[in-house]
Amino acid sequence: MTPGAARSAAAAGSQRRRRAALRHAVLIGWGAIIMFPIYWMLQTSFKDSGEWVTWPPNWLPEDPTLKNYEQIFTFDVQQAGVAREATEQPFNIWGSLLDSLLICTISSLIALFMGTFLAYAISRFNVGGTTFRHMVLMIRMIPPIVIAIPLLMYYAIMVPFATETLLDSRISLFDTRTGVSMLYTTVTLPFVIWMMLSFIDEVPYTLEHAARLMGAGRIYTLRRIVLPLVASGMVVTFLFVFILSWGEFLLALTLTHPDVSTLPVLLNKFQSASEGRLYGPQAAIGTVITIPVVVMGILIQKHLVKGFSFGMMRR
Amino acid sequence: MTALSGTATPARRGPLARLGAWLAQERVFRWIPFALVEGTFILVIIIPFLLTIYISFLRWRANRPFEQAYLSGLRNYEAVLSDPGFWAALGRTFYFAGFAVVFELVIGFVLAMLVHRVVRGRRIYITIFLIPMMVVPVVVGYNFSMIYIDHGPLNQLLLPLTTTLGIEPRIRWLSDPLAAQWAIILADVWQWTSLTFLIFLSGYSALPPQLINAARVMGASRWQIFWWVEFPLLKPAIVIAVVVRSMEALKLFDPVVLLTFGGPGTSTQTVAYYLWEQVWQFNKFAFGAAASMLLLILFSALIFTGIWLMMRERTRLERERVS
Repeated sequence: MTPGAARSAAAAGSQRRRRAALRHAVLIGWGAIIMFPIYWMLQTSFKDSGEWVTWPPNWLPEDPTLKNYEQIFTFDVQQAGVAREATEQPFNIWGSLLDSLLICTISSLIALFMGTFLAYAISRFNVGGTTFRHMVLMIRMIPPIVIAIPLLMYYAIMVPFATETLLDSRISLFDTRTGVSMLYTTVTLPFVIWMMLSFIDEVPYTLEHAARLMGAGRIYTLRRIVLPLVASGMVVTFLFVFILSWGEFLLALTLTHPDVSTLPVLLNKFQSASEGRLYGPQAAIGTVITIPVVVMGILIQKHLVKGFSFGMMRR
Repeated sequence: MTALSGTATPARRGPLARLGAWLAQERVFRWIPFALVEGTFILVIIIPFLLTIYISFLRWRANRPFEQAYLSGLRNYEAVLSDPGFWAALGRTFYFAGFAVVFELVIGFVLAMLVHRVVRGRRIYITIFLIPMMVVPVVVGYNFSMIYIDHGPLNQLLLPLTTTLGIEPRIRWLSDPLAAQWAIILADVWQWTSLTFLIFLSGYSALPPQLINAARVMGASRWQIFWWVEFPLLKPAIVIAVVVRSMEALKLFDPVVLLTFGGPGTSTQTVAYYLWEQVWQFNKFAFGAAASMLLLILFSALIFTGIWLMMRERTRLERERVS
């Protein structure tokens, strides 16, 4: 090797190294931007009330405390001995946690089963044709505010009116877990259908065909041949839909007021600054809401793109 | 033998079994799931919409009983169309969505390009970059409301910049109209760049390496490879990212409630927030019904265009996958 070539190779090498270093610097910079708000929430959740807003802001809690978590997890506010502002409001998250868990789990499960079943029918028998698939997409893309107003009137006026005349008993879906679950099932169905469609399309039809020819019943084929093959896809879809419902805010805010409140609605309650903002407990609530969904999201990372692009991007 | 005779004489079977057999026929079976889902849609979406169309022709506010409402023709529609607040909110929604989507696309694309070339630490980068997407939107709003405090960490970080530029160091992120608008756009960019990044990254990893190697062997420069080989192949991903993100950005609501409540004044009211306020603060139900119908018509046009674009790219993608 001539000295010139060696020098140019070394130059190219150092250039490549410099480029790689620059690349890492940009990526780490963006990583820092992403972590900054999350870090701020985490450390605020360990601060006591005096430290929430200071100048200059403390980047680490001077006196780390678990008070905020105690406050949101106690069953009784008085008993906790935290006589701070806004204690007359029920502060713990147990009620909302239960509401959120029930609503999200039930609605996601129902949506998952209905959607998977339909995705199977679409994939195998082309039920409804392309028009139906696009109509399903459209329901997903309509802004929720356009759905929220009709639903409010439907739940609060029409359903009570109809049940009163037909059944002689006034049933209202407004501010009930059933009402919110029904709605979440409907708005997440399009995601389930499109995601499951992309999973089911990958299962070869010949397998089922063989089973049917050998005399297996339809339900038996579904349960023993198709279901095991798409089970992992169903878990992914369930988690994806669960994450979506867990964070849904506008519809929950609209259709519930005093009795039922999901976690995002609870967090928002303390945002309106009537008694002074309660940054610490809010940060604690935020942390508690966020951790489970971020863990779920990381678990299904590979499939997230499928969910958000309606199964169009597959890897 | 008994089992055989059982299947041979269907008359002996109970009604339940006969129902099962009827349902298992293909021409019936294929419509069961369809009927279930369609029934749900009709019950939860279609009937409320019909009700809303009816209410949008009424003269009615929620502080009076529903029975006293009477038909008033197109008055509500006229009221919406002649309301400057509605048009301003609509314009603002497009302004927020436009800037947010452009930033998200550009940043997401650059990040995906860089991460695609990284060899070591790729997984870690991807995992971290995807976190914002999973954080509950309300929590994002809360986090930013904390950061944007006048005495908050963001102004502290910007201190060197503001002093050199000679701007007032205490930027009022949430009480100055222009700053509040950009505060909301920034929060949206923070959260949803992760989605465009994800879509572009999956577009990048689907690129056929043979093509790029071939171009390199033929002596194409980096820039030429990017512009003539990678970029055209990434077009489906770009279209999907644009459509998905624009549709979501036009729904902008959560950060507005959490950060500014539409204020200062009306400077951050998006159309979703505007309608919400009209209905829930001012009880103008009939007005809200008319406005949501108008919005639905407007958005349907956009949605149809979006779906059409996506489907075109989808068929193209499918063709590439086959060949």
